[in-house]
This record gives sequence, structure tokens and C-alpha cells, in this order.
Amino acid sequence: MRNLLHNINSAIQIGDWCVLTAGIILVAVLFQQLWSHQDATRVQIRHGDRIYGTYSLNQQRDIHVQGAMGAATVSILHGKARFSQSPCHNQYCVHQGWLSRAGQAAICLPNQLSLELIGETKPYDSLNY
Amino acid sequence: MRKGLKPLFIVAACCLAIWGLISYKQPKLYHSQSYVFGTLVDISIYGEPEQRAKVLSNHILQDFQQLHQQLHAWKPTTDNQASELGALNAAFASGKPVQISPRMAEILLDATRLSRQSDGLFNPSIGHLIGAWGFQRDEFSAVNIDTALITQLVKANPSMSDIVIKNNTAYSKNPKLKLDLGGYAKGYALDQAIDYLRKQQVHNALINIGGNIIALGQHDDKPWRVGIQHPRKPGAIASLDLDDGWAIGTSGDYQRYFMLGGKRYCHIIDPRTGYPVQHTQAVTVLIPPQAAHSTQAGVLSDVASKPIFIAPLANKAEMAAAMGVQHYMVIDQAAQVYITPAMQTKLTWLDTDLKKHLHAQPTAQH
Repeated sequence: MRNLLHNINSAIQIGDWCVLTAGIILVAVLFQQLWSHQDATRVQIRHGDRIYGTYSLNQQRDIHVQGAMGAATVSILHGKARFSQSPCHNQYCVHQGWLSRAGQAAICLPNQLSLELIGETKPYDSLNY
Repeated sequence: MRKGLKPLFIVAACCLAIWGLISYKQPKLYHSQSYVFGTLVDISIYGEPEQRAKVLSNHILQDFQQLHQQLHAWKPTTDNQASELGALNAAFASGKPVQISPRMAEILLDATRLSRQSDGLFNPSIGHLIGAWGFQRDEFSAVNIDTALITQLVKANPSMSDIVIKNNTAYSKNPKLKLDLGGYAKGYALDQAIDYLRKQQVHNALINIGGNIIALGQHDDKPWRVGIQHPRKPGAIASLDLDDGWAIGTSGDYQRYFMLGGKRYCHIIDPRTGYPVQHTQAVTVLIPPQAAHSTQAGVLSDVASKPIFIAPLANKAEMAAAMGVQHYMVIDQAAQVYITPAMQTKLTWLDTDLKKHLHAQPTAQH
């Protein structure tokens, strides 16, 4: 083990350090660029005052949730989610369509269900509407 | 220690330190969601032990529930008694005086003052008109527009100044007056909640009732941050810092509405015509903390957006000045955004499409 480390140490040349430094800078830049897009990774479904479940967006799946009025369907499709079926009258929640970015939310007031997309960072604490 | 191992230890120590810092910085944030006032109530409390935050949050929700039952415009309470507002409306229709609670008297006087300030565009006494458009229901659908009824209700011209309050009793000089405090109660509840939390020595909280938000303190070392909903798309158009004591409210045509013959009919009704407003998609107002013994920020954030929404574009600046609002943004039916310089400096734009259609909204003198 000691010999191995020693060998590695003596084997690293100036050029290697340059490549390493460039690599670190590249990672930092990419991190800044890509992280700020705030893509959502999960969807949280709430019923009334409790969390029904949190699901990865990285799948294709239909989830049937029992709300205050009846069963609604939440669809997840590779990075986005939506209400695809709801027993409510106005269907506002279904008309909201696909949500794909962190912080986006769809609420079904009559059925007391809500979806919220969650990312690594939260773009805001609460939504004004 | 061998030279080769030293960097490894340094890296390991750094990792541990970062991990420690992250776990230490784990948000002490309590967050709850419930359905009260026929809408979503979202309470965030920061920096309190979870158990205490939960108790406080439940207390606020109970107060909201009580207020809701007191002020509900069309639903009787659980034991099938008319709400205080329901009883009041029944008495108003008969012209007889009725006893009211001190809280109701305070609300009516404040709402009357705000109605006068808005030149009658904020008019909580047009409950019959709101009912005629089908918006006094939990779920609404397209109605048959009864033009004769609407003309008749506009002609009856109910106004907050028709209410006479004397010695804890109230009566109406106009039998067609019916109160609907839908544009006032949520703001009032926000002020009550913040007041309660301050008395309980809570320093940091954010309360959202159906989109109307008020801030207390901040979230950790940063101000509370709120997003403003796009009126036609899911997601936020912009975000802003909501400082201690500030409140934000939006009147929009996208939360309660129905479509009929390709036209959108929203719940905000112009008391002068009796018809839903169709020239505006959304008006957002940002309200700073107000002086004690005057209308508080929560109520103003709920009320002030309505008359600005109802006024035609050319008169919106004047109406905002009349309501004492400097920070506001209008999105009209053509998706053009009119924003005051004061508001613009507060916003961080997230929707780049809408940002292309910004216009400076002049600040009028009042």
C-alpha cells in the first residue's frame, strides 16, 4: 500500500496536474450550469394534511390515489408528472397538464389532492396564485 | 506519518467537516398543508422544535376553521345553524336590526372603509350577483346567464354604506344587500395568524391561504422566497423575497372560472356592470407592513388586488394609488405585463417568454 502510494506520487508529472486542475474546473463549471436548471427528481403527492407518497420521476407509472371525492390518477412519465384523471367537476387539475420543474404544483381543491415536484433545491418556499 | 498519506487525511477531514456542516444546516423547517376556507392552507414555521411548531400550526388551523364558519357566505355550520354572516344576511334582507359580534363590527367597518377607498370597485355587498354567476358553490359550472336578473341586481345598487352599525347591532337600508367576504376573509385570517405567532414569540413563519401569503421573519439566514404563479401555465413566472411583515396577493381569472361559448367567466365581478371582468388575467400586489390600528398587510394584500383587477387598464394606476399600492403587476388578456418600477426591482424572472412583454406601469399620485 505504502509503496503503491509512493509510486503514484512520484509518477505524477506537471502535465498530470494540469489535466487534473482542468478537470476540476470543468466539473465546477458544469455543476454551476446544470445544477441551476432545477430539474425535478421526485413528485410528492399529498392528500389533505398528510403526505400520500413521494415517487421518483425517473419511471413510467400511473398511481391511483383516493381523494376526498374519489380516485384520481397521477401519471409519471420520465421526468414529468400530471393529474391524468380526476373525479372533480371542473378538471382544473387535469388541465394543468405536465409538470416538469422543481417547485411546480397542481392542486385539486375539491378532491383535496396536490402534486408538487421536488428537486435538489427548492426555488421558493411557497407559491402565490 | 508518510508523506503520501497526508493528502488523504486532509481530504477525509474536509469531507467530514462538509458532511457535519450539512447535517447541522439541515432545515429546522416545519411544514403543514390543510384544506380550510375551501382552499389550501400552507404553514411553514422555521426554527421551532417540531412538536411546538405542530401545536402552533394546529392552533392556527382551528382559528381559521372557526373564522371560516363565522364568515362563510353560503354554508351553514356543521350543526346546520346559519353562520354569523348567514344570519346577518337574512336580517339584512328583512331590514331588521340584528346583534353582531365585536369582531364582525370591526370587519364590517374596515371593509366599508376599503370599499369607499376603491370607489366601490371592492364591494363585498354584491353577494346576490356572485350567486347569480354560480360562484357561491364549492364546485361551479357554466350557468345560464340571466341578463334580466343581473340588470335587476346591478340596479338595486347594494353598497357597504347601506349598512348601519349602532351599539353592536347592524341593519341594512337596502334589502338587496348580501355580504360575501370572499375577498377579505383570507387576508384577515393571515393578519390574525401572524398576530398570534408574534404573541407566541415565534420569529419565523410563512403562511399561505389559497395563494395569499404573509411572512414573519425569515427562512434561516435568508428571507422567505415566494413564486408567482403563471396565469396560463403550470409553474412560476417569477420569484421574490418576502420580507418580515410583507404580504402578497393575486387576483386572477384562472382559479375560479368557467368557460362558456369559448369565453372565460371568472369569479371577479365588476359591480357596475354585473359581469365578470374579461380584460385582465392577473393582478399581483405586494404590501409592506402597515401602521398599527390601520388595515393590516394581510387584508390589504387580499383586498387591494380586486379593484385594480376590475379597473380598465388606463385606470389601474389611479386605482392602485387610491388603494395605497406601489408594488404591483398586471397581466392583461393579451399576456402583456405592466409592472411598476418598485415591483420590478423585487422580482427575479423565471419565465423568459413573459419577460419579453414587460411594460413600465406608471405610478400615479393620489
